[in-house]
Amino acid sequence: MTRLLTVENLTVGLPQGADRPHAVEGLSLHVDAGEILCVVGESGSGKSITANTVMGLLPKLLPVRGGSITFEGEDILALSEEAMRDRRGRRMAMVFQEPMTALNPLMKVGDQIAEALAVHGRGQDAAKRVPELLAAVNLPDPASIARSHPFRLSGGQRQRVMIAMALALEPALLIADEPTTALDVTTQMQILRLVREIQSRQGMGVMFITHDFGVVAEIADRVVVMQHGRIVEQGAAQQVLNAPQHPYTRALIAAVPHGDAAARPAVSVQPMLEMKGIEKTYHRGGWFGPKATVRAIHSADFTLFKGETLGLVGESGSGKSTLARCVVRLVEPEKGEIIFAGEDLRPLSRAGWLPYRKRIQMVFQDPYASLNPRRKVGDAIAEGPITHGVDPAEARARAAELLRLVQLDPSALERYPHEFSGGQRQRIGLARALAMQPELLIADEPVSALDVSVQAQVLNLLADIRKRLGLTMLFITHDLRVAAQICDRIAVMQRGAIVEIGSTAEVFGAPKHPYTRALLDSIPGQGWTPPDLSRSA
Amino acid sequence: MKTFWRNFARNRGAVVGLVILVLVLIVALTAPWIFPGSPWDMAGAPFAPPGEDGMLLGTDSLGRDVAAGIAHGARVSLLVGAVSTVVSLVIGIGLGAIAGYLGGWVDDVVMRFTEFFQTIPSFVLAILLVAIFTPTIQSIVFAIAVVSWPPVARVVRAEFLSLRSREFVQASEVLGKSRISIVLGDILPNALSPIVVLSSLMVASAILLESALSFLGLGDPNMMSWGFLIGSGRSVIRMAWWMSVFPGIAIFLTVLSLNLVGEGLSDALNPRLARNRGGKP
Repeated sequence: MTRLLTVENLTVGLPQGADRPHAVEGLSLHVDAGEILCVVGESGSGKSITANTVMGLLPKLLPVRGGSITFEGEDILALSEEAMRDRRGRRMAMVFQEPMTALNPLMKVGDQIAEALAVHGRGQDAAKRVPELLAAVNLPDPASIARSHPFRLSGGQRQRVMIAMALALEPALLIADEPTTALDVTTQMQILRLVREIQSRQGMGVMFITHDFGVVAEIADRVVVMQHGRIVEQGAAQQVLNAPQHPYTRALIAAVPHGDAAARPAVSVQPMLEMKGIEKTYHRGGWFGPKATVRAIHSADFTLFKGETLGLVGESGSGKSTLARCVVRLVEPEKGEIIFAGEDLRPLSRAGWLPYRKRIQMVFQDPYASLNPRRKVGDAIAEGPITHGVDPAEARARAAELLRLVQLDPSALERYPHEFSGGQRQRIGLARALAMQPELLIADEPVSALDVSVQAQVLNLLADIRKRLGLTMLFITHDLRVAAQICDRIAVMQRGAIVEIGSTAEVFGAPKHPYTRALLDSIPGQGWTPPDLSRSA
Repeated sequence: MKTFWRNFARNRGAVVGLVILVLVLIVALTAPWIFPGSPWDMAGAPFAPPGEDGMLLGTDSLGRDVAAGIAHGARVSLLVGAVSTVVSLVIGIGLGAIAGYLGGWVDDVVMRFTEFFQTIPSFVLAILLVAIFTPTIQSIVFAIAVVSWPPVARVVRAEFLSLRSREFVQASEVLGKSRISIVLGDILPNALSPIVVLSSLMVASAILLESALSFLGLGDPNMMSWGFLIGSGRSVIRMAWWMSVFPGIAIFLTVLSLNLVGEGLSDALNPRLARNRGGKP
């Protein structure tokens, strides 16, 4: 096996004022031809910096302070910009995370791939090669895709185009920086299979950056685990996944949602929320020209029983968030009944809604957008009760209590949201919702923006609080493993309709609908059961 | 606040602008003591060039001191600039907030109304308004405010449209806060940076508008302003250049300094954009 890439003792500095002096410190790794090396780590661990350094795409603010990178026998840190450009694309290629922004929106995708060929003097083959490449990444009807602009393609299709472009000149090394993170789970599985297939067909070396151990289990030959810019563990995939040595790796693997659907007893039969015949249609288009309609929700009836957690699962665009937002009137449906505690909420006025605002609360997805940056944490938590007539001093005292409940220090009251990490902000958002003492809590993807270890903490906290306060919860997620861990029942949504609803064990154990089956088959790393590390640790 | 000043001071031009602006303000505030008496009174021989007759910047065709005119004119120009900006901010923020927050047909109506004002050349409309209401300081402020609010409304609406769908605003909705407290407490404070930047530029353009109106003889006849000084010197510019040039320099420096300060504010309020500009680290 030939050694393609060797990184030795690489140190990359960070600008002054950053939280640590080096983005990457004393990093050594290697990639051989014909293997997939997974670089795993949480956000900020320096894995993307490593990839960008190898590609010579480091921002000027980040100087390389030491070490060497040898690619095909050459020290590429010593190469001129000119020489580096020649290697890039021809010998080493990169696939980026965000397929929506990585393609030029004004250029047909065929032309973009042809451009990659032309830059390296192979433009004359373009007419023949472009359809071949598009076919190689399993895109249907390559000729018509080549003539399309990127906006006509879905996220998965764009990512395939990116991969086709990266493969255009048959590079020896492919670097993929979280190429499936922005994609739905079924598309993710297709892309992972594609990368595997192409890699084994062409014998490339692949450096695959990810934060998801499921993806690692699916695709990796070897694994490098990074934390705070250093490698804490590396080795063969089987060994790292099943017998992790370093405490950080162990913690990460222990935090992976295990996806076990334990049978749970039915909690109660007293309905708390019933959605009947809800319909929401979005219209697009102006006064002139044809109008487009999107049926965001139709035939999505469900009943939420008191004390249970119902998971709404589906891919992006399935209408799960819209449905949840209908319950709190952030979206107003045209039709249907929202029966909460015996009363239909849909026809109520803004004022008529007020008493229900206390009883139904929501936790949002993005911890960075869900708190007002100009309001202190204490005020953010206390303002809800104050609006509903609680004495301000009392509300603030309760806010301190709530912070303790969500395992934050009460000193946080006087601080601003930007002083907290993503996981801490999500707890603050939870405290804000709990301040209203709700009966029904709607959690809209509350952990999907968090790193896996933080995700586990927040999920445990949610489960604990739900039990202690006897909350009913509507939990929206795209991650089936998370749903399995926290939900009593699961409703699977596809294109605005609930296609299957049942107890978690039923849905996971014996899925009835083909779409549910497809979703379950797409969970990455199914062949791997995370080892139970609780005892041996 | 400290980081705000550090980011502001990183833009050298902004600091220079701030210094000039403070100097102009000091001159305006102390004018009654530096140049006691009315600037309309005769102070020396007519057409005295700068430096002669004890007149620093010369005298005009009636022997009035040009320096006194500029100092007293600064009061009028700055006052008109500030007050008309405040008025147009009130109109612009009000309409923009309503349009952006409520959306739907309200947004359509308000924006068509705004476009109505934007399609009329603003200076012509200002002349028309002042001519109808007879030139007084109030009517001038009113006219300037009426022609300069549409950009504010557009900026505020755009900010509100994007902030309205942010999750912290939705969280406030779910908490059951009233519309007014959401608009004033959650959205507006987060939309302030572009408004602050825009308003410093609006003061500058209001000063220019007022000068242009006065130059055309539509200024308040009882108020000495920079535009009036230039206008009155226009017919004799070949024999008494100083009558037009010095007030012109005053306008130039003030407007320039306001623009520099505006850019500095924009850098200080959006430090990330500022650092990218010009590739400076």
